[in-house]
Amino acid sequence: MIFRAVEDADLILRVQKGDIEAFNHLVSRWEKRVYNYLLRLTSSPEDSLDLSQDVFLKAYQNIRKLDDTARFGPWLFRIAHNEAYSLFRKRKPESGIDECGVAEREAAPGASPELRIAVSAALNRLNPEQREAVVLKVYQGFKFDEMAEILGCPVSTIKSRLYTALELMKVELAPAANGGRGIR
Amino acid sequence: MSTTCGKAEALRDYAFDELPAIDRPEMERHIGACPECAAELDQLRLTTAALRILPDREIPQRIAFVSDKVFEPSPIARFLHSAWAGLASAGLMAAALIFTVLHQPAPQVRTIIQSASGTDVTQQVTKQIDEAVSRAVQQAHAQDAELTKASLAEAETRHQREHRVLMVEMEQSLEYIQKRLGTMTSLTSSMEAPQNRGGQ
Repeated sequence: MIFRAVEDADLILRVQKGDIEAFNHLVSRWEKRVYNYLLRLTSSPEDSLDLSQDVFLKAYQNIRKLDDTARFGPWLFRIAHNEAYSLFRKRKPESGIDECGVAEREAAPGASPELRIAVSAALNRLNPEQREAVVLKVYQGFKFDEMAEILGCPVSTIKSRLYTALELMKVELAPAANGGRGIR
Repeated sequence: MSTTCGKAEALRDYAFDELPAIDRPEMERHIGACPECAAELDQLRLTTAALRILPDREIPQRIAFVSDKVFEPSPIARFLHSAWAGLASAGLMAAALIFTVLHQPAPQVRTIIQSASGTDVTQQVTKQIDEAVSRAVQQAHAQDAELTKASLAEAETRHQREHRVLMVEMEQSLEYIQKRLGTMTSLTSSMEAPQNRGGQ
């Protein structure tokens, strides 16, 4: 992670000087993470790809405004979060994003189909804020302060969302996972 | 919260590696001494492990950018870029010309000329053949005429010879007949003369 951050900082400085290839290199290092974050929010591969392109375009247009290169990740995901919610508002201006869920995904090798279904169902039972907190923490590995920057919320709010979500899910998932069905 | 321990939130921070390093040894000692927190930590780890069975997907299409006016290159960079671009363009054009010259198919004009030459040759050959055939036919006709003429001459000669032979034979026959007639006349006269002398 340290090497990655150092390389990102170097690339960002080059991009800020007009090096387009450096930006393409930066994109190649982050596009999978951004795409999967959006995919877990939207459940649509097409929307996620379109949004990913928009995210990187906005990042490209605004990267000279980024003062702290070490905060590139949260800054980029903040753009992604805003783009996703902009799409949600456009699609469902009244109901918000409450009906968005998590798409059925292929499980990791060795995981049982039952556990995969249980995980998807548990995620779908969360509200969007809780689900996004789980995605950013469990799947993307951001720190609480980074999540607060991405979501524009206090750390206490982030922790509340995350721990409530885990409290809801562990009732189903911990026994299933403890049954030796394909984790660890 | 399923745990009633007063360190529940700190336990969750510890589970997600968010507890300050200075507080971690104390929390680890607490977990060892508090079965409720140990069970809670175990459940949190099982839950996050279960969530991670849904792995990331590969992005279906790579994202790349080629240009943007936001980042205009410096004048020097533009000059260098254009110079290199010019050199590259010149090189590409030169390569294209060389390639065209080396790999160009036979020019159409040349093809047309070749085609026309081919037609002349064919016509000439045909003409020569026709002339040869014509000459051969004429020669054959001439030979036939000569043969016919010779045959006619030979036939004429043979006819004249045979005619002469026939004429000679006829003359001889006529002479023989005349001799026979003369003889018979003489005999007749001689036979009539005694009868006349006895009737007187």
